[in-house]
Amino acid sequence: MQKFRFSRKSLGIPYALYLILFVVAPLLVLFYYAFTNGEGRFTVANLTGFFTDPNTMGTLLYSLAVAFVTTMVCLLLAYPTAYILATSKLRMKGVLVMVFVMPMWINFSLRITALKEVLNLLEGNLAMYPFLNAVVGMTYDFLPFMILPIYTTISKLDGSLREAAMDLGANEAQTFLKITLPLSVPGIISGVSMVFLPAMTNYVVLDMLYNSTYIMGSLIGSYFSAYDWHGGSMIALVLLAIICIFTLLMGGDSEENARGGALL
Amino acid sequence: MRNILKRMLVLLLAAGMLVPAAPAKAAEKPGKIVLRVCNWEEYIDEGGWDPKEETIDLESGAILGEKSMVEDFEAWYYDTYGIEVEVEYSTFGTNEDLYNMLTIGDVYDLVCPSEYMVMKLMAEDKLVPLSDNFFNTEDPNNFYINGVSPYIQNILATKEINGEAWGKYMAGYMWGVTGIVYNPDVLSEEEAATWTIVNNPDYYRQITIKDNVRDSYFMAIGALRSELLTSESFKGDADYPKRLENVMNDTTPETIQKVQDFLQSVKNNVYSFETDSGKADMITGKVVANYQWSGDAVYTMDQADEDDYTLNFVIPREATNIYFDGWAMLKSGVEGDSAKQHAAEAFINFCSRPDNAVRNMYYIGYTSVIAGGKDSRVYEYLQWNYGAEEDEEDVVEYDVSYFFEGEGGERSHVFEVPEEQTHRQLGAQYPSGENLERASIMIYFDADQSKAINRMWINVRCYNANDIPAWAWIVGGLAVVLLGVFIVRSRINKKKIGA
Repeated sequence: MQKFRFSRKSLGIPYALYLILFVVAPLLVLFYYAFTNGEGRFTVANLTGFFTDPNTMGTLLYSLAVAFVTTMVCLLLAYPTAYILATSKLRMKGVLVMVFVMPMWINFSLRITALKEVLNLLEGNLAMYPFLNAVVGMTYDFLPFMILPIYTTISKLDGSLREAAMDLGANEAQTFLKITLPLSVPGIISGVSMVFLPAMTNYVVLDMLYNSTYIMGSLIGSYFSAYDWHGGSMIALVLLAIICIFTLLMGGDSEENARGGALL
Repeated sequence: MRNILKRMLVLLLAAGMLVPAAPAKAAEKPGKIVLRVCNWEEYIDEGGWDPKEETIDLESGAILGEKSMVEDFEAWYYDTYGIEVEVEYSTFGTNEDLYNMLTIGDVYDLVCPSEYMVMKLMAEDKLVPLSDNFFNTEDPNNFYINGVSPYIQNILATKEINGEAWGKYMAGYMWGVTGIVYNPDVLSEEEAATWTIVNNPDYYRQITIKDNVRDSYFMAIGALRSELLTSESFKGDADYPKRLENVMNDTTPETIQKVQDFLQSVKNNVYSFETDSGKADMITGKVVANYQWSGDAVYTMDQADEDDYTLNFVIPREATNIYFDGWAMLKSGVEGDSAKQHAAEAFINFCSRPDNAVRNMYYIGYTSVIAGGKDSRVYEYLQWNYGAEEDEEDVVEYDVSYFFEGEGGERSHVFEVPEEQTHRQLGAQYPSGENLERASIMIYFDADQSKAINRMWINVRCYNANDIPAWAWIVGGLAVVLLGVFIVRSRINKKKIGA
């Protein structure tokens, strides 16, 4: 046997172990459950069941709707904020960014509890607006994840490009539309994927804000509570597949994504 | 107790399944027994009471939880039997969580789920029956059999599953009924005392109900069959208890369909389905009524009292679900290990010792199945807790003989209480015998029934794709198309730049 030599590669061993133990192995178990039935035999009934059941499909679409609206609201709120932050000449910029990130330092269920009281004050009776509550709660929760990548991208833009555009006769609006916006797309993509995907499954927000309709997360939970591990695993797997497709579609700029995400 | 976040555990468990679930074994000395107990969260006295504030001063002596019940048990077992025992105590959040934990391979010796889960485990042959010695009334250390309420023991001994009485495998721990906590300033007792209130448009979005399929099912049948259940002819029927049980446990497809329709309309009328928030929402006044287990109802009213806010509890006139949480020994843990089984049964007995039953009741607010037998401390605790002061006006006599004596007793367990208490904590913790006539157990549903009911529940809770309005399809479709066009265009642009 070759003698063990410590090299830089060895530094990766802890993570590799972690990966195998907590990511790869559970995934394999998930696959196993998703494609077997109660007797442990191979079946695709769970898969076809998912796509033929109006409830699972309805839940999928409902989750997509919640996630989509949340993402749009986040984007509309985050882009101007990030733009102003990144382009302002304020010396205290760092502090300002910190202020936007700060909510993330507080436990999220605590934040939602606080939000609940605020909404209760504004709406009177929370239960009247379940969909609105879900969107507001999710937006509250995920907004920093949208602001940061966009902020990072915009603040790293090469200023000379804007100046060049201006020199060539573009006005402010044209410069923004032709230069700044297209170049900040990687940040937007990074933010969107960091908001959209968790928003599809974060059912605790719905639970806490009295939306009694299931989204993907709670649906999976309900299958497990009913001891249907096979159906539940299949839903988890389908969700995983959707996320994969989504990421592939969006992921033309993985390098920039990584850069945007690094700040988080 | 039944924490929301605990539901996430199921998912985490699923994700971590390959990680060996064996709990770290305590260093086992020879002769030392390790007893693995799994109970509901916050469901046993953990000690640390303040001697000044919290001593329960009864005629037969003061009761105070200094150390935790588990520590006291370890010391007591050593003193009594001369054998060292170490309790590995863990908790679960819902019956289903416990079942899933067992499925994954967690091993426990003694667990404390609700009666239907005990029945499920019984039907799956996963339990060890309680030993004959456990039921031996001669042994003074058999606190359970010597102290259990005859009313409860009668139910445990007569209700059967697959021809075997529950009581053979299950020793009761806590029990209770289901009912409605309500705000008497807004609702009259008359209005609140029915399951149909959940569908009452007068209280649109002002009532919370339980977020679990069994409680919802019971509530729905109570509301749907309200007329029958409250009719004199039905109540006067010689076979009333049996008929009531049959109605409340009806799982024919037609009934399930009706329950589904009912719950769907309820979903659009109530404030929410809640797992944990109902108590707080009741206390803060966000809702005016809340479907509640009696133990949690007591807690809710106690908390509200601290804010000088009065809440009442009522048992609906149609029927109420009587439930039990009880101890059962698992085959996977104790089978073939008589020393361990002895320790497990001793643990049940120790928790059933009247002073310990009082400690647990005081600590968690639920009602112990223990009446005390010859030991009067449980009854004294009841009087200490609820008895009227000497100079108090507006008092009534409250009869709990059914619990302490069973049928055919002297009916001597009657004491004076403030009238309002019969609508409040006392009425919830020890419902009157009259109210309990409407109590029905909810049986354990077999695999097919459970499947049908769980499906019904998912139908209620999910957004049905067939209900999506046309405009939503159009808007959604447009959004997808636009997104597609955008992505394709940006790809093409990039290629152009690249070229």
